[in-house]
Amino acid sequence: MTEFLQQLVNGLAQGGIYALIALGYTMIYGVLRFINFAHGDIFMLGAFAGFYLAPATLKLFGAGPSYAGAALVLLGAMALCALIGIVIERLCYRPLRDRPRITALITAIGVSLLLENGGQLLFGADPKSFPDLIVDRALDLPAGWGPLSALTITLSQVLVLGVTLLLLVALRHVVNRTRTGLAMRALSLNPTAAQLAGVNLDQVIMFTFGLGSALAGAAGVLISIQQPSIDPLMGISAGLKAFIAAVLGGIGNLPGAVLGGVLIGLLEALVVGYLSPTYRDPIVFAVLILILIFRPAGLLGTVQKEKV
Amino acid sequence: MASRSNVVFLVVLGALAVVSPAVGHISPYYYDIVVSIGISMILAASLNLINGYTGQFSLGHAGFMAVGAYASSWLTLRAGTPGGAGGAVVFAGALLAGSVAAALTGLAVGAPSLRLRGDYLAIVTLGFNEIIKGAIQNAEPLGAQRGLGGMGKYTGFFSTFACAALTVFVIHNLVRSTYGRGFLATHDDEIAAESVGLNTTRYKIAAFTIGAFFAGLAGGLYAHFKQFIHPEAFGFTRSMDIVVMVILGGMGRMVGVCLAAALLTVLPEVLRYVSHLGFLPEWLRHVAENRMIIYSLLLIVVMIARPQGLFSLKPARARS
Amino acid sequence: MPAPLLQIDKTTLRFGGLTALNGIDLAVGPDELVGLIGPNGAGKTTVFNVITGVYTPTEGTVTFVGAALNGRRMNEIARLGIARTFQNIRLFPQLSVFDNVRVACNLHRATNPAAALLRLAAFRADEAAVAQRCEELLGLFNLLRFRDAPAGSLPYGDQRRLEIVRCLATKPRLLLLDEPAAGMNPVEKSELIRLIQQIKQQFALSILLVEHSMQVVMGVCQRIVVLDYGVKIAEGPPAAIQNDPKVIEAYLGEDHQKSLSHH
Ligand SMILES: Nc1ncnc2c1ncn2[C@@H]1O[C@H](COP(=O)(O)OP(=O)(O)OP(=O)(O)O)[C@@H](O)[C@H]1O
Ligand SMILES: [Mg+2]
Repeated sequence: MTEFLQQLVNGLAQGGIYALIALGYTMIYGVLRFINFAHGDIFMLGAFAGFYLAPATLKLFGAGPSYAGAALVLLGAMALCALIGIVIERLCYRPLRDRPRITALITAIGVSLLLENGGQLLFGADPKSFPDLIVDRALDLPAGWGPLSALTITLSQVLVLGVTLLLLVALRHVVNRTRTGLAMRALSLNPTAAQLAGVNLDQVIMFTFGLGSALAGAAGVLISIQQPSIDPLMGISAGLKAFIAAVLGGIGNLPGAVLGGVLIGLLEALVVGYLSPTYRDPIVFAVLILILIFRPAGLLGTVQKEKV
Repeated sequence: MASRSNVVFLVVLGALAVVSPAVGHISPYYYDIVVSIGISMILAASLNLINGYTGQFSLGHAGFMAVGAYASSWLTLRAGTPGGAGGAVVFAGALLAGSVAAALTGLAVGAPSLRLRGDYLAIVTLGFNEIIKGAIQNAEPLGAQRGLGGMGKYTGFFSTFACAALTVFVIHNLVRSTYGRGFLATHDDEIAAESVGLNTTRYKIAAFTIGAFFAGLAGGLYAHFKQFIHPEAFGFTRSMDIVVMVILGGMGRMVGVCLAAALLTVLPEVLRYVSHLGFLPEWLRHVAENRMIIYSLLLIVVMIARPQGLFSLKPARARS
Repeated sequence: MPAPLLQIDKTTLRFGGLTALNGIDLAVGPDELVGLIGPNGAGKTTVFNVITGVYTPTEGTVTFVGAALNGRRMNEIARLGIARTFQNIRLFPQLSVFDNVRVACNLHRATNPAAALLRLAAFRADEAAVAQRCEELLGLFNLLRFRDAPAGSLPYGDQRRLEIVRCLATKPRLLLLDEPAAGMNPVEKSELIRLIQQIKQQFALSILLVEHSMQVVMGVCQRIVVLDYGVKIAEGPPAAIQNDPKVIEAYLGEDHQKSLSHH
């Protein structure tokens, strides 16, 4: 029982990270109908941005780890990633907007490979150990909680989940309450109508890339707090899993991305806990294939028919 | 009376047989590169049927290659890697069996493509690639994570290039026939293709099956050339290598794709050489060490500026 | 009246909340040329989509020569002998004009695909026969001069005509034409009228024609069906339709009626 609950806790923490990345895939797909293959690598850049920002930032608040310093590193990484996402869209994707979708996909694959291998060149290919932003420790759970008492829950896991939730609430606000957020939703529901209603396409796309990339950047810092070893290829697997999460939830659907992220995180934890780590990736991919075959619109999405 | 392309094919085989002994004398380093070019051509030409002519997007071609490599290796090992004429027969049989196994896998992968298009399909095939790799990693009889070795060195210049010629010949004849034009029609407009009676589902599955068959053939040749195979050699990076060949060669342009296959097989060697040139600046040597940086830049630039591929003189929208 | 070739029975199609077709009855007899008219959004193209299997009707049945079409795939329906053009032209833009027609000959190929690999004499004879048929058809529409050009590069009117040639290559018994005269001037329209009549005769076709041009509709149709908001509001010979008050109100309008009565 404890074992099972422990896997759920681990899965939830990982699932939160996937959810943050999956949101970017889903938002960008919503406005551009295109899978930004390079999105996972933005997550990696977020981790490296944190890595390089951390020493100087932490010094501002004294020498050691601090919550204020950690928050500033997180915000800095998010801002940098937003900027990078916007630049990539401007340079690589915008020229292709009216071309077949596959062209954009191939370009995105190119961008992804460039970030991964450029990253190896710039940062070095070896894993780096991420500086401590906070002092991590296992929480003491009250003895009276039954099977829960024996769980190992770390401070970083709680923090990561907390920050993830906070970001989700903030995102909800941005998407539902701001003008640009509304324009973004309008565009993904009905592109033609939205543009007729005066939605500025370029601006909304820029905004979407910025927002999605910022979330991926945040995920990059958050994962590094939990698993302090980062490398330029860390975005490949996380990106694919998050993409699968987005498809599972229903691509284009924001709550779906979160749901999918959490489900994939949990599934992975259970496979690792009860089967074997070598089955983790094949099983997650099998989920993707089954979903696409039996419920291509995902858990929360709706199917759209092509007009003839 | 034989048709002209049959004659060309036979002439090519004859020419290969004539030069084959001479090629046997070049240094092992160059011999390795030459054979690798042939294997790349088979991989690229067969992926060209799926990604180029039929307009599907497979990112998992290395998975089919793996099936062919492992199936044929398992067979020749079981047969005790005989030498001489017996060896040749065993090898030919194993290659065929490996290709058929790969084709059956292609059939299974083609099935989901009934419903999926473009970007989704790309990810699903990538997923299948991972699943195949994962299955091998967990299969003890195939050496699991340790890899599989001890195969006889059956593959040589002649067998490789004869297979490459066969691949190009078959796919070329197929796509230029009335039947085969259906692959291109499926690419251009599925609904229109269905409206004139083409079963686009069958075409897609056929493309996957035939493409996988030849990828399996390449895998069998590869395994019996390197004499050691490892699951990691058939992962996403290998699949990407093949995709890059097809894209840079120009999707659906056979000659360009074969040229690109040759070029991109030689390129890493050239780059390795460049990275050791002392007079070059440090950063440039590092770039040269990592061919993927160059590939990725090429991909981006080609997609934005030359979607018809590097070699084609024709603009993107004219093809016959 | 002989048994109809195509019969649509009480057919309804809904897209979510929108009822695009509402209990439509429609029949096309052998050798008949029926017009289907109605204002924009009336559901004309949707009727074609239901016949050809792009959509499956929510209710009702479609039968063709006694065979139920509901639930069949598009290519099966084409195989049964129904060919169509598309309102927004769907050629294979990257294939040559010749190949656009050739690919449609697959329904009537004599040899199997594997023969393509060996290129034996029988296969080559078959390919030659296909090529000859394609060239004849292209010649009929004066398109042979574009034989090797990519279809996407043709002028608009020629693309529309190429689409008809491509249909004929499938040897249909029923041809569905969706606004073939769109974008044509009066001279081209009379030429089209002549062509429609010619192919109907020569290939023994039944035709269902959607068209906004009254010149074309009134010029060729034996019978006209009028749709409005997915409902059939009138049916009859051209003369009766022109004077039907419901049709005038929904579609033709007063001016149209006056200009037409001069013909
Ligand atoms: N795939 C679809 N999804 C939702 N609504 C659709 C779809 N296809 C058609 N419709 C709707 O069904 C109605 C009928 O459309 P249809 O295209 O059949 O009209 P039409 O009579 O051909 O008009 P036009 O003369 O403009 O071609 C329209 O309101 C249209 O918006
Ligand atoms: Mg219409």
